[in-house]
Amino acid sequence: MPNTILDTVRTPLATAFASVAGNVYAYVPETPMVPFVVTVPDSPYLELETIGKSQIRTKINLVISVAVAYNSNPASLDNLEQLVISVLKVIPAGYAIGAVEKPTVTQVGPSNVLVADIRVSTYYTQTN
Amino acid sequence: MATTVITGRDVTFTIGGNNFDAQATSATLIGEMTRETYQTLDGKAFKVTDNNFTFNVEMLADWGATGSLCEILWSVSESSPDTGINTVFTAASGAVFSFQVLPSWPSAGGTAPDAQTVSLSFQVIGVPTEAF
Repeated sequence: MPNTILDTVRTPLATAFASVAGNVYAYVPETPMVPFVVTVPDSPYLELETIGKSQIRTKINLVISVAVAYNSNPASLDNLEQLVISVLKVIPAGYAIGAVEKPTVTQVGPSNVLVADIRVSTYYTQTN
Repeated sequence: MATTVITGRDVTFTIGGNNFDAQATSATLIGEMTRETYQTLDGKAFKVTDNNFTFNVEMLADWGATGSLCEILWSVSESSPDTGINTVFTAASGAVFSFQVLPSWPSAGGTAPDAQTVSLSFQVIGVPTEAF
């Protein structure tokens, strides 16, 4: 069984978010349901930082996008802050957590959502 | 002759038989000469009187992991600080240097948002043996 980035990095991350009050996705779905937490690649996505070529070892930079419905500004921000904190609490060991970017209003399908991005990074080794 | 490019990813090394590929982000073998200058009647004359090599390593810390390289380095620094450790450093395929290094304490800790890293500067005993 191949140890893909989806299997060993993004899905375990999404699994760790099972306890948060939102829909969790390991990839961007066509129509995410708010509130949601989705893991997407950051830029640069993969960085080859370690020596040696016998195995592919790479630093993976990801963005955890956390979104809530944007109905009323004060409530939406409060909801977003609570969801962000709950996500930060369950990020597993082995992930370096960077900044949480300022919330922005984004249109997803017909509705507006308030989104904040959490930058995280970890390391992946291809073993087969 | 075509241009040759080798990168840090061509580097591999072992210290005491332990492979550091998974953790090391940089490894550099540096040699320095102590060169004396003599002012003679014919002008300046130069003589190398000593060579000193250091082996510098930057690595991601792995404290607490199974087979932790940081813990191995700590243990050997504690138990045998004056005993050389066999080291094999490959700069690229076909360029291998063999030498002994003296133990060096690995640092521990780091800044909150970043992966913990360790900087090591090993004293090399003598001059490395090359295999080109």
